[in-house]
Amino acid sequence: MLIRQLSLAASLFFVVYLIQESVINQFRLPGGGFSILLIFTLVWAILSTPEIAALGGFLAGLLMDLSQSSSGPIGQWTLLMIAACYVAGYLGSGNEILAGNPLGFTFFTAAATFFIEIAYVVTGALLGVQAGSFGQVLITLLGISLWTLVVTPILLPIFSRLHELIFNTRSPL
Amino acid sequence: MRRGGEGRGRLLLISLIVTALFLITLDLRGVGLLEGARQATQTVLSPFQRAGSVAVSPFKNFFSDITHLGRTRNEIEKLRAENAKLKSVLINRKNADAQLKQLKNLLDLAGTAGYKVINARVISQGSSQSFAQTITIDAGATAGIKKNMTVLSESGLAGVVKDVYPRTALISLATDPTFRIGIRIAGTQQIGILSGRGNRSSNLQLIDNLTTVKVGDILLSRGSVANRPFVPGVPVGYVTAVDNSAGAIAQSATVHLYTDFATLGVVSIVVGAPTINPGDALVPAKPQPTPVPTVTVYATPSPSPTN
Repeated sequence: MLIRQLSLAASLFFVVYLIQESVINQFRLPGGGFSILLIFTLVWAILSTPEIAALGGFLAGLLMDLSQSSSGPIGQWTLLMIAACYVAGYLGSGNEILAGNPLGFTFFTAAATFFIEIAYVVTGALLGVQAGSFGQVLITLLGISLWTLVVTPILLPIFSRLHELIFNTRSPL
Repeated sequence: MRRGGEGRGRLLLISLIVTALFLITLDLRGVGLLEGARQATQTVLSPFQRAGSVAVSPFKNFFSDITHLGRTRNEIEKLRAENAKLKSVLINRKNADAQLKQLKNLLDLAGTAGYKVINARVISQGSSQSFAQTITIDAGATAGIKKNMTVLSESGLAGVVKDVYPRTALISLATDPTFRIGIRIAGTQQIGILSGRGNRSSNLQLIDNLTTVKVGDILLSRGSVANRPFVPGVPVGYVTAVDNSAGAIAQSATVHLYTDFATLGVVSIVVGAPTINPGDALVPAKPQPTPVPTVTVYATPSPSPTN
């Protein structure tokens, strides 16, 4: 049963990744745009148990690492996403503040995106990956976080419903 | 029972983290298998990216157009007058015309210098979640493109070929933070290194600390050994500000790149360079200032009303 659920979830992650790479990346959005895969993974992680969240983070991170636009070594996004999703899953599971609160969910996702991107810059600097001038990094960080804040409420019901369908759980939203 | 579940959870987390660290180590040590995985992913993705590019082409520059609304107001007003059917036709045609104009300028540029080029369309723009500035083009190894070839836009240097796949290629743009190019200043022939900063403004570091640079100086690519990664003489940008801070080892300056990366639709990849260095032949003409007519109005005060 769990294997079937995980396979379905993995296919879903791949579809979202495909949408990100073939559609979302076509738009020249100001401020760096948004990553639908990052939003999806974080929403998924908040709705899941920490272990499932970490597995989701591993898969999404691996896909992000395999993206041609990824400038860091393969494994950097994977490592960050495992950690971020585990924390998101830990803070999200059974959290009364987030349950039935889409606004809290949205802010949590946007804040998580902001911190993940900061972590990416910091670990990138340690691994010798250049991210650009301080001003440009700041603009991209704020841009991606703001876009996440705008896009998450639109996508949240869809992602939440998909999670509900695969894991046969009642959505907290 | 619960303790066992927690133990398994911890074991899973540790396994995943160790796998990620293992991947980082392998990649940093240059294991070819991982690079092959990235190439395979790109090969799988490229048909979807092509389809996506066609599907979203009418809306691609929507946000870029919004930011330039002031400049294109007249055009928008003209379009407003058209009916709905003509509007959609015009949007599609506008896209094709823009690409045609870019292509014509590109061929002019390449023809002047005698570069042998392959033209390609931009099919995807890299996500900025990784702070990298890249694009994907619809031509790859089968078209004769190789790694480390110069990429031109209609107005000058666009970037360099970073990775090549059978039918697509990944271009690292001149704005990418990892991008470096040796340049020379047109006329004075001073040399320096230009580094990308994530936006259209780049950083120039002169090699010789005795030379000086002026605002308005035009930068051309200096060229590399065997013309890879850079062919000589490609216009790169012009100096907008000079850093004159005392005690600096070498003079530095801010450079505005010629290429408008937000509207990049067609690019050319230089596959063959001329035997003779084009020198300053590609230096763009200075823009002619448009005379602004001034209208002087003399106001004559009317006599104050008297009762």
